[in-house]
Amino acid sequence: MTLFLVTIAGALGCVVRYLFEYGVRRNHPTSRPWATVAANALGTGIAGYAAYRLVGTDQDHIRTIVLTGFCGGLTTFSSALAVPVILQREHHWVYAAALITTTPLLCAGMFVLGMSLAH
Amino acid sequence: MRSHITLSPKQLGRAVLVVALGGAVGTLIRDLSSKINLYGGPPRPGVFYLPDWTHQIPWVLLAINTIGVFVATDLLRHRLKHHDPNDPMRLLLVTGFLGGLTSYSGLFVDLAAIWHLTIGGCLLVAAGAILSGLFAGILGLGRHRRKP
Repeated sequence: MTLFLVTIAGALGCVVRYLFEYGVRRNHPTSRPWATVAANALGTGIAGYAAYRLVGTDQDHIRTIVLTGFCGGLTTFSSALAVPVILQREHHWVYAAALITTTPLLCAGMFVLGMSLAH
Repeated sequence: MRSHITLSPKQLGRAVLVVALGGAVGTLIRDLSSKINLYGGPPRPGVFYLPDWTHQIPWVLLAINTIGVFVATDLLRHRLKHHDPNDPMRLLLVTGFLGGLTSYSGLFVDLAAIWHLTIGGCLLVAAGAILSGLFAGILGLGRHRRKP
């Protein structure tokens, strides 16, 4: 049952990320990669909050559904690096470098913020 | 191109279903993979003894993330290059499947566990994850380069 709910939560996370990207692309087509950065930051922030609240408790199934499922689906590592790599190939060096450096720094900040809010 | 950027409610609903399908399969594979125990039990001192914190390194997730970057770059740069961002195949494979398969949040949860043991080790794994992803992306770019 947990595996099924993790799968559903993962699908839901992916859909939220897609709608995020769709909304940004519709209004600001060239800013689409920043929607992925924002989705990653939001997902990592939620993961920080959930990890602090749920790790060490006996709610293993909820932890797996939220962390592995929803947050895992909301965040993406593949597009976060594939898009900047393609942008640098197209000579958008500054844009690519900004995306590559911003994502982990912002995610780290949001993870700590999430844990702080849970504390 | 504006028509490709804005979808009708019906098209958007179909896109959401495709992303959900790909994301469900990707998440399922990642969850099942995360249950793999590379060490076959608790760490023991011996010939191949490593510091305790190295047993916290999420090798499986690192491998999944790295492979995911390679495949995503390859698809976006070559096979799906001329597909618009709302193309069903691109939504299914890149946004859905690879998005669900790879995870930034999972990486940070594992990094936090290492941070409690060693800050240096945590930074090393984080740098390794990013650099291996970049390397995989560059490999994905060059796979179909034509010979002169």
